[in-house]
Amino acid sequence: MSRGWVVALAIVLIAALPDVALACPVCFDARDENRQAFLATTAFLSLLPLGMVAGAGLWLRKRAREVDAEREERGEE
Amino acid sequence: MSAGAATLDRRPEPVRRPPLVPSGVLGMLVFIFTEVMFFAGLISAHTIVRSQVAGQLWPPYGQPRLPVEETAFNTLALLASGVVLVLAWFAFRRDANGARIPLLLSILLGTVFVGFQGVEWVALLSEGLTMQSSTYGGFFYLIVGTHAFHAVGALGALVWAFYRLDREMLTANQLATVSAFWYFVVLVWPVLYWQVYL
Repeated sequence: MSRGWVVALAIVLIAALPDVALACPVCFDARDENRQAFLATTAFLSLLPLGMVAGAGLWLRKRAREVDAEREERGEE
Repeated sequence: MSAGAATLDRRPEPVRRPPLVPSGVLGMLVFIFTEVMFFAGLISAHTIVRSQVAGQLWPPYGQPRLPVEETAFNTLALLASGVVLVLAWFAFRRDANGARIPLLLSILLGTVFVGFQGVEWVALLSEGLTMQSSTYGGFFYLIVGTHAFHAVGALGALVWAFYRLDREMLTANQLATVSAFWYFVVLVWPVLYWQVYL
């Protein structure tokens, strides 16, 4: 086994050693419903703005292509 | 003439592309973006608080039940208002005068929605559901009240559009701008209904 593989294996083993650190006092709860709610709302609030920005970007790109096609039809440069 | 000025003279004129989105609509979309995040924050807070209630008893003991069926009917009126506004837009593009009736109908349906919400609030207050009665009441009035505030503002914008249409001063960009606001009010409501009432 090459030295690189040994180092990589060691890094993986070290990474697997620590346990989950529940440092945030409000993000952890013994009840499953509460944990699920925190996870769901975190995902919701994280993905919503990204989705809106991506959606707006795609719509603007489509709109730009439409405007360019209209200009070409009219023979404008 | 200096060398720099000569270089500037040889530069080709930049291609002027017409704006992709009218300024009013773009401004409204940015505003709606912020409002979506505002409502997302309210919904998230409501979801967390609801999940923390012991025994998942929601509404909490002693608090009145919300009028789910009546509000469902009211929701249909609001959705119909949005659909009629789409028809008003297409009518406006064909002939501005043709948009009068659908625009007025959209305003009336929106007013029915806001009016019924007011009646519902009076009934719930008389049953003891207040901002201070519980987190349930607090969230109800905060979320539904914020939406009602937006609905009243958007209705005002629609009335302004109708006023301008009546005087043949309404432009397509103005109608698109106020319509975007109303569509936001219409589309965010089913999410709030699902979260708060069901």
